[in-house]
Amino acid sequence: MLRLILARVVTSIIALVGASIFAFVILRVTPGDPTRLILGAFAPQESVDRLREELGLNLPLADQYLIYVRDFLAGDWGFSYSTGEPVATQLASRFPATLELGLYAFLFAFVGAVVLALLAAYRRGPISDGATRALSFFGLGVPPFWFGLVLMIVFFEHLHWLPGPDGRLGPGVAPPPAVTRLYTIDALLAGQFATFADAAAHLVLPVITLGLFPLSFLLRLLRANLLDVSREPFITVARSRGLSRWAAFVRHALPNAFLPTLTAAGLLLGQLLAGSVLVEKVFNWPGVGALVTDGILRQDFSVVQAFILISAFIYVLANLLVDILAGFIDPRVRHAGMRR
Amino acid sequence: MTDIADRRLPPSTARRLARGLRRDWALYGALALFGALVLLAAFGPLLWPIGPLEMDFAATLAPPSLAHPMGTDGTGRDIFARFMDGARVSLSVGAAVVLTGFVFGGGLGLLAGIGGWTADVLLMRIVDALAAFPPLILAMAVTVGLGGGLHTAALGIMLSTVPFYARLIRSDVLRLRGQTFIEATTALGARPSRIVFRHLLPHTASTMLIQSAAVFGYSILTLAGLGFVGLGAQIPEPEWGAMITEGLQYALTGGWWVSVFPGIGVLIAVVTTNVIADHVRDRIDPRGQQLGVV
Repeated sequence: MLRLILARVVTSIIALVGASIFAFVILRVTPGDPTRLILGAFAPQESVDRLREELGLNLPLADQYLIYVRDFLAGDWGFSYSTGEPVATQLASRFPATLELGLYAFLFAFVGAVVLALLAAYRRGPISDGATRALSFFGLGVPPFWFGLVLMIVFFEHLHWLPGPDGRLGPGVAPPPAVTRLYTIDALLAGQFATFADAAAHLVLPVITLGLFPLSFLLRLLRANLLDVSREPFITVARSRGLSRWAAFVRHALPNAFLPTLTAAGLLLGQLLAGSVLVEKVFNWPGVGALVTDGILRQDFSVVQAFILISAFIYVLANLLVDILAGFIDPRVRHAGMRR
Repeated sequence: MTDIADRRLPPSTARRLARGLRRDWALYGALALFGALVLLAAFGPLLWPIGPLEMDFAATLAPPSLAHPMGTDGTGRDIFARFMDGARVSLSVGAAVVLTGFVFGGGLGLLAGIGGWTADVLLMRIVDALAAFPPLILAMAVTVGLGGGLHTAALGIMLSTVPFYARLIRSDVLRLRGQTFIEATTALGARPSRIVFRHLLPHTASTMLIQSAAVFGYSILTLAGLGFVGLGAQIPEPEWGAMITEGLQYALTGGWWVSVFPGIGVLIAVVTTNVIADHVRDRIDPRGQQLGVV
């Protein structure tokens, strides 16, 4: 087990070093002269030279790379070209909104997938089969930003059931006192139930939009695994010991069907990260994703660059943790790792 | 115990495929829709009288009608014409990504699989570095670094499929390499190139074809995503994702058609290819692995 963990840690670190070299080359070296980007085309040559000196652009590439990595690890992610604010501060101020959206989207996807997969595998028939398949095909094929827009056209513009694209709270609603910075939780802690209702209503459509892809992905995986596991002899044994079909499913098949789902959790986190970039803009959700899309629009790439490296970092870390966790939970994984 | 009928040889792949296809309406529907989209992309722009960039300031934001089946956008451009051109863009980028991704990723995986331990370790670390980014974000990185546009977007999407193809081919090759028929061919004195091209690659062909269909759908979805955030096709190029962005400002004030129709295009293209890949996979290899890059 220790060897397995060690091997995974080492390959993860190598992958991150490789990824940072790739990001350095493609984001720092290829776009040409960043000093001209900052100072503009008409700046005098001496100020360009001075800035080159300050930014360390005259150093050899290897040194520049090491500085790049050192700054990144120290949390020094540069300054926004347009506002002059440190990127780290900007990202930190936007993070709670993305976290709240992501958490609920994950919850929605997970609970939805488990419930639907159980129903589809338990009550097998052409209708439940076809419905779950259709749902997962739709969820995996629909562009999330478009789906969010369609939801808003229906539920906001035509039916007036849910609020439109005004971010986390309606106009005129003050944010609750900051404790966790997740508005739904803070509002409950402060006892402001009207604020809670408003925040929750603003979450519904973004959560469905962001959660649909992970839900479909999990549903497909879980359903296939459940059907596989339910044919295993130990399910027959459980049934012959007098367990009801439902109990055999929930107690014996479901836990065993979960493992491949667990290893997909890292992938899902990557999906949520990338999805937030696509979805937040549609709802004017004031999160990290919207910050990134705004950065692209304003050609303010320092934020975008930081986001790209950070998401690689998070992604690799999440996959590493998931693999180690799978090793702890399932002896089969542990031993497959040994043999390799 | 066992009936004599159970001991027959399993039917050939082709026969299983034919038998399964007989009543697979979902597959037929998907094939028909996808075919229609291809026809629209190939011949639509030639037959339709209005060009995708023609502006008609007398008919801005016109709702769908006979003259403009999908309405017009804020500058009076015909959305149906742009939709068909968008199909052309998306389908050709999808095809380009599938081909180049297969050549590069598959090549890497093949070299890692047949080369020795050193080649395997080195090449797979390159693959790991690319796989360290969530796919869409890798494509974003490439377009941010090299400048947005259809070509860089296609390049970025292609790079994000490399780890997928490489790992798939490598594991297939490693599995096949240990089998007796490869050993026998080696013993017969076949050259390595013959083993690779006549014996290893044909065995991976069916999985590759199916997985490529899934990659095709993924490419179209990702291209739309990049276009939506402004990193893919540049305005005024008719690309589905960029068209959705252009329509955002009208969508909630009555002009739903500007964004809705291009999205339907993406939806049809991606869902049909996924359905085709999935159903054909079920026929050939019912216990096959999950499809898709993500």
